Amino acid sequence: MSTDQPDVPRDVPPRIQPQVPPYAPDAEPPLDPAEGARLIREQRERTGTQMRPDGRILYGVWGVAWLLGFGALWTTTGAAGDYPTAWAFVVYGVMIVVAMVVTIVHSVRRASGVRGPSARTGAMYGWAWFLGFLVMNLVVAGVSGSGVDADVVALVANGAVCLVVGLMYLMSALLWGDGRLYVLGVWILLVGGAASLVGMPTTYLVMALAGGGGFLAMAVVTQLGAGRRRRAVAGRQDGSTVA
Amino acid sequence: MPDEPLDPVIHAASRLRVVATLAALAPRDSLAFPRLQKLLDMTAGNLSTHVRRLEEAGYVVVHKTHEGRTPATYLELSPRGRRAFEQYQDQLAALLKGAGS
Repeated sequence: MSTDQPDVPRDVPPRIQPQVPPYAPDAEPPLDPAEGARLIREQRERTGTQMRPDGRILYGVWGVAWLLGFGALWTTTGAAGDYPTAWAFVVYGVMIVVAMVVTIVHSVRRASGVRGPSARTGAMYGWAWFLGFLVMNLVVAGVSGSGVDADVVALVANGAVCLVVGLMYLMSALLWGDGRLYVLGVWILLVGGAASLVGMPTTYLVMALAGGGGFLAMAVVTQLGAGRRRRAVAGRQDGSTVA
Repeated sequence: MPDEPLDPVIHAASRLRVVATLAALAPRDSLAFPRLQKLLDMTAGNLSTHVRRLEEAGYVVVHKTHEGRTPATYLELSPRGRRAFEQYQDQLAALLKGAGS
């Protein structure tokens, strides 16, 4: 485009004359390198936070579910070794269902719109959880149906939950390369061992405090990590505007 | 390499953001057009224009498909686009390092 603009009236003050950019019509003002680097960082951060599941939500909801669910089971067992009441099992069941629904809805929403290898991996991952819990429940149902003491069923159920969750977390840690998740997996496995060994009714207390507490601790660690990352990005941005 | 000019296809704010977003996906993953639009806060028309330019350069592959009866468009950063973006980032880093010293 040339600099003379026959369409522009001569009496228009120069500062409100249409600016004819020295670049192609579909292009934008040239970037300076620092601005380019900032855009890349910002967009990467934004894509990460909007597309990855928020650990604070997932660990938080499971922490609360275990704390209140197993807590309800524990509080209704008396010193005489009574079995938890029906309403305690209802509280536990509702907690688990709510946590499951939140997890599925949140994860599916975050991953929506993606096709390809990651979507396939994500679907296989979801099915692995589903199958793990399905078989765990069949095992517990089988043990329960064999006529053993309710205590035995409770201990097997608690141990099996921790075994499935702990091993799934170890697998997730390897899959996503997340060291903290590996630590949580090891912790949940240890909780399962302890919950089985302490017997009734303390098994429920271990599940509520050590199990639920483990998830909640992980939620806090994730929150601290997110804050640190945000500050680091902000710090680099300040640096780049100064440079 | 620092003397080479920055790739004009990538070195524009909107297209740089499109490429950076698609590069954040795993290789061979593609993203639905409306989802990309939301991640970028761009109008559909504006995004289409930039995607066309990236497609012409061979940096973005556009998959047109159907989900049920509704047409859907998925966008994927091609291996070539990924390489160009990596080179662009290296050049930026070199330029910023030069400016800082």
